[in-house]
Amino acid sequence: MKKILLTVVALATAAGLAGAAVVYGGFYDISATDQHLAPTYRLLDIAMRRSIKLRAASVTVPSLDTIGALEHGAPLYRDHCAQCHGAPGVAPEPFALGLTPAAANLAHTGRAWPAEEIYWVVRHGIKMTGMPAWEQRLSESELWAVTAFVKKLPELSPPDYRRLVADIPPHDHAHDHGEEPAPQRPDAERGRRIIQQYACVTCHRIPGIVGPNAPVGPPLDGIATRAFIAGALRNEPAHMVRWLRSPQEVTPGSAMPDLGVDERDAHDIAAYLATLK
Amino acid sequence: MRVTALLALAWVALLAGCSDESRPVLGGDAENGRLLLRQFGCIGCHRIPGVAGATGNVGPPLDGVGRRVYLAGVLPNSPANMMRWIRDPQSFGFETAMPDLQVTESQARDMVAYLQELK
Repeated sequence: MKKILLTVVALATAAGLAGAAVVYGGFYDISATDQHLAPTYRLLDIAMRRSIKLRAASVTVPSLDTIGALEHGAPLYRDHCAQCHGAPGVAPEPFALGLTPAAANLAHTGRAWPAEEIYWVVRHGIKMTGMPAWEQRLSESELWAVTAFVKKLPELSPPDYRRLVADIPPHDHAHDHGEEPAPQRPDAERGRRIIQQYACVTCHRIPGIVGPNAPVGPPLDGIATRAFIAGALRNEPAHMVRWLRSPQEVTPGSAMPDLGVDERDAHDIAAYLATLK
Repeated sequence: MRVTALLALAWVALLAGCSDESRPVLGGDAENGRLLLRQFGCIGCHRIPGVAGATGNVGPPLDGVGRRVYLAGVLPNSPANMMRWIRDPQSFGFETAMPDLQVTESQARDMVAYLQELK
């Protein structure tokens, strides 16, 4: 009995060490030019599908026939989705052809997936795939219009699609998701969630946000008690909101870009930063 | 025991492989720079590792400033640019709370020698 136990422990240790050696030795090929091993692909695909199914189960689907799949959904699809996913008779943009995994052909997805799962993916995105979350960029009705359009895709021939989008002017990104006003009471918890949708963590170390910790700008630990923002503005909520929304106005030439942060998001993010004492 | 030592060595080798590529250095006396950072009152506003009393939180903390990509959010971080910033922060065309402290060129060089070592 003791012998069996020891063997199991030894094998587990050996497996752990082998795994560590592969990881630390850099032997796993992370490149997008090297395809996944078939078992890796299957495993990730199953994990993704099951995860989506579990989370999409509580989504209530509105009547897709009345939300204007074609007139509202088609221009959104052309301007936000076709770049990576292509469209009937339309290739993805060249850069997107270099993605691994390549973005799915959504005519198939529209046929095979239920609407609530498509909506959930459009809304929340998928980690490590290149699929972004659109909940910050599109309104609720736009998310459903895109979903309805994807459901319609398998019925559209390439000439149908071409005709559909031929005369529609380009979508005006400036009005994506509208402008939400300042909240009555800023919500720090929402700020913590929303800060991830503005990629702040790619340049700043931010306690509570997992990221690369790349020291591009100053670290934000202790930002709540720092006297000045950007070395120029007294640190108070209104100033933080102003800095988050218009850094280029405060410091012309700053490496910190204007990220299109709306009023509500800026207040909530400022509230989160105010917790970092 | 020997295995542990080998693993530790491998770990150190890995870490060494991860360090930033070295930047051009302008010389300067880092130890003197550390003293100057106190004497010029930098510690009143900045947290600076290795400098006693440097716990200020008026401007950004300087831990890791040697690896930081931008200085004051506008200048690419190099020893030369850090010297320019320390010597004349008011000359960059935007408002900053960082005052002109009349730091001489050689003093700035020493401070930079110390600060660039903060990885």
